[in-house]
Amino acid sequence: MKILVAVKQVAALDEDFEIRADGKDVEEDFLLYDLNEWDDFSLEEAMKIKESSDAEVEVVVVSVGPDRVDESLRKCLAKGADRAIRVWDDSIEGSDAITIGRILAAVAKKEAPDMVFAGVQSSDQSYASTGISTAAYLNWPHAAVVADLQYKPGANKAIIRRELEGGMLQEVEINCPAVLTIQLGINKPRYASLRGIKQAAAKPIEEVSLADIGLSAGDVGADSSMSRVRRMYIPAKGRAQMIEGTLAEQAAKIIQIINEFKGA
Amino acid sequence: MNNSIVSNAAEVSASAINASDITRILFENFHPNAVHLFYVIGYIAIAVFLYGTYVQIRKYRRGQADGSWGEILHRFFDMVKTMATHRTLVRRDKSAGRAHGLIFLGFVLLFVGTSIITLEYDILQPLFGLKFWYGHFYLWFSLVLDLAGLGLIIGLIYMMYRRKWLKLPKLDYKRVDRQAGDADFDRSQYRREDWAFLWSFILIAVTGFILEATRLVWLSGRPVVWDYRMWSPVGALLAHLMQAIGFSAEGAGTFRTGLWWFHGVLSLTFIAFIPYSKIKHIFTAAASLMFKDPLAGRRLPRVPDDQKTAGYKSITDLTWKNLLHLDACTKCGRCQEACPANAVGAPLSPRDVILSLREFANHALSAKELPKEAELDIHGKGVGQVFMETLWSCRTCLACVEICPVAVEHVPIIVQMRRNLVEAGEMDPLLEKTLQTIHKTGNSFGESKRKRASWTKELAFEIKDARKEAVDMLWFVGDYASFDPRNQKVTQGFARLMHKAGVDFGLLFEGELNAGNDVRRVGEEGLYEFLATSNIQSLDDCDFKSIVTTDPHSYNTIRNEYPDFGGTYEIQHYSTVVKKLIEDGRLPLAKKLNYKVTFHDPCHLGRFNKGYDAPRDILKMLGCELVEMGRNKDNSFCCGAGGGRIWIPDPVGSEKPSQNRMKEAAVIEGLQVFVVSCPKDLTMFEDALKTSGYEGQFIVRELIELIDECMEYAIPEHELLVESVTQAIAIQEVLVADEMRGH
Repeated sequence: MKILVAVKQVAALDEDFEIRADGKDVEEDFLLYDLNEWDDFSLEEAMKIKESSDAEVEVVVVSVGPDRVDESLRKCLAKGADRAIRVWDDSIEGSDAITIGRILAAVAKKEAPDMVFAGVQSSDQSYASTGISTAAYLNWPHAAVVADLQYKPGANKAIIRRELEGGMLQEVEINCPAVLTIQLGINKPRYASLRGIKQAAAKPIEEVSLADIGLSAGDVGADSSMSRVRRMYIPAKGRAQMIEGTLAEQAAKIIQIINEFKGA
Repeated sequence: MNNSIVSNAAEVSASAINASDITRILFENFHPNAVHLFYVIGYIAIAVFLYGTYVQIRKYRRGQADGSWGEILHRFFDMVKTMATHRTLVRRDKSAGRAHGLIFLGFVLLFVGTSIITLEYDILQPLFGLKFWYGHFYLWFSLVLDLAGLGLIIGLIYMMYRRKWLKLPKLDYKRVDRQAGDADFDRSQYRREDWAFLWSFILIAVTGFILEATRLVWLSGRPVVWDYRMWSPVGALLAHLMQAIGFSAEGAGTFRTGLWWFHGVLSLTFIAFIPYSKIKHIFTAAASLMFKDPLAGRRLPRVPDDQKTAGYKSITDLTWKNLLHLDACTKCGRCQEACPANAVGAPLSPRDVILSLREFANHALSAKELPKEAELDIHGKGVGQVFMETLWSCRTCLACVEICPVAVEHVPIIVQMRRNLVEAGEMDPLLEKTLQTIHKTGNSFGESKRKRASWTKELAFEIKDARKEAVDMLWFVGDYASFDPRNQKVTQGFARLMHKAGVDFGLLFEGELNAGNDVRRVGEEGLYEFLATSNIQSLDDCDFKSIVTTDPHSYNTIRNEYPDFGGTYEIQHYSTVVKKLIEDGRLPLAKKLNYKVTFHDPCHLGRFNKGYDAPRDILKMLGCELVEMGRNKDNSFCCGAGGGRIWIPDPVGSEKPSQNRMKEAAVIEGLQVFVVSCPKDLTMFEDALKTSGYEGQFIVRELIELIDECMEYAIPEHELLVESVTQAIAIQEVLVADEMRGH
């Protein structure tokens, strides 16, 4: 029995950040990296299944990213994950969420897990599609925004509750194996002590190349993606002005402004 | 014969009596079998005592290793000195300390006396025919022991009076962390043990005197006994009383036999019971004092890299020294009385933590075989287990460690237990968040590293970057002084002082991380190691002579704990630096402040590092009238922020330690300023001043602010220019006016 948890190291903006010279991202110096908040919850959900099960359950975390991602994977290992896999090749740079899903699906095919968990979305890019595209590439059932999960390891069905708008929940029965994207608040993620993280340094992180999972440089990267970032910028702030005077004066002023906008 | 009541040494030798006859004949008129029986009882008592001692030692040996064996001779003499002076016992409770002194001295003398008799009767005389217990020696011996016995009884009577009538809250063993009805709520078995101890002890002493008197009456016809009775004055007085109520010599002889056995068997039982009862403190307290760590709580123990779990989870995780400390506790309650958490009704009494663990250890570690590991868990809600809430209530202020008369080190044990809670994630969610924030940003405010020195922007001068150029003094600012807007004002004030005095100083700017003092006291040792080693790395890359800090928490950990990680620096709290600058005339005081002030000793400056004097001296130099609060210096009352509690919200509705402190200060008539010298204190007390309703009555100020108030700063150049132009215009106007008037 195995659960594959897809995680991502996300970037947070530091104070007074600057945009990169090519205008497509933030200057790396101003980014603080940490594990995506949603992934704390999906890993915890996997750990809960592992710890409450009599049968052996292996929790494997996987991430697509460069060396720095090891730090976040180590945090997952400190929290109790059995193994960590990191996929990277310089050609992956610039891949969109769908392409990342393709890479994760390739890992899942190789690992053959009974379940794949991912976060609903990442806090930096917020596409909310990596998990779903993984399911699509695997051709597995999927459920997004899972707020509750009832699943016995090895069972061929799971009952989940999905969070909908307006505080509604939708209870769904899903065939397994499946890909679930886990919502915040489904559980209380455990604390990874620094000591635990340090000790987890002893656990190996498997570095996987594209060839190892049957992909090539041509399958990934910006050119193979169906969407590409054109630019990243801070929009000019909107203007507001206070209109003063008597009611008649204010009305006259508004008419004047509308006419200006109409180009009259 | 009867008129030679007053005997003295001269008379002894002058009389016809042979000096060797002036003694006490042991087992006089005893059947040899009776003597044998007594010896058998004696040996049984010793065997029971030895077995009990063995069980205790086996218990300690089940603890972890501890390196406190160093300087053993020095430790021994220190312990003897502490015990001889009773220094730790008279603190904050003179009467109890003195009464204990009488009991202690009485017991020691009576024990030595009995040993001397044994030495002669059982060893030297049968082996070598040597005798010395007669004549002058015997008489002085009798007198000293008589007075010792009297002192013992007086001490014991005071202790009984104290327990029965003084109704001291610290002697109430009811627990704050348990509910009425819980198995171990009222600890009444301890109360019974206390009384059994007092009664049996006093009974031994009193029957000893009556026995002495009975012997005198019985042998009143024997001059070598009766004529020298005043060498045992208490016995003599009782003997006269017995005669007055009609005791005959013969009657006394009969009475003596029964009483002798009662006294003898009771005494031997007492000895046999030592390792099984609170009496064992005569050994455990002494040993505890001997293995006292002068840096207890100031420098917390490291977690060895190869240790699997962090901190204490099982009773066997404690060191033998910890286990010994548990046994030293005599439940005097001074720690509970001093505890700020206890004072505001938090579910923590340092004494109860110690007693719980002791009961746990006695239950789990006294059996021949160790129980299963699951039964050794000291965390939980069961009898002898310690609650998570209890451990998280601790402010690690060291008030308990400071006052413990027998050197029990509560705080290191509490932090070790917290380390295990942190590892398991059993903590307040806000605290967890703060720890993650500190890991991510290097400060508890979650601010960008770049903003650490943003307070310098408002200064009229530049502060050196110690990472780029050499400085005399490196100023370690600390989180609160760097990021908290109110404290930034104080921080700027200190920068002005240093600048004015011409001190060559610099900062680490964004190279500084939270010093880790409180992170370590929370129990997040991994994060502490990360912070400490990062800071040491930054410091080692700079060229400076010494460190100054405005933060007592940083001061403590850099001074006492960084050396364990390879960072040894000369460091001072700002108060000693500023005091020297004023004394050397480098900070001339432009005016005197006639404020009536009181001073709050920050735990980490005062109790932790004995920095009591410098802030007080400065206050005097500033011209302030200092009125002390009841709890000051080593008994200073924690503001409640220590041990990471500043990151854990206090329960709503209950009093906070800082509010409790405000109440204490408000009692001082005409108090104008409540002076602190710690950034966290400023935050805590300014808040408490408002919430406790004393706003308007007095104000809270950092000492730096008062010093700053006495300074006359040169006015910056551009302001000077404005002033001179204004002045020129004014003069011009006067001249024009004069001209117009026709001068």
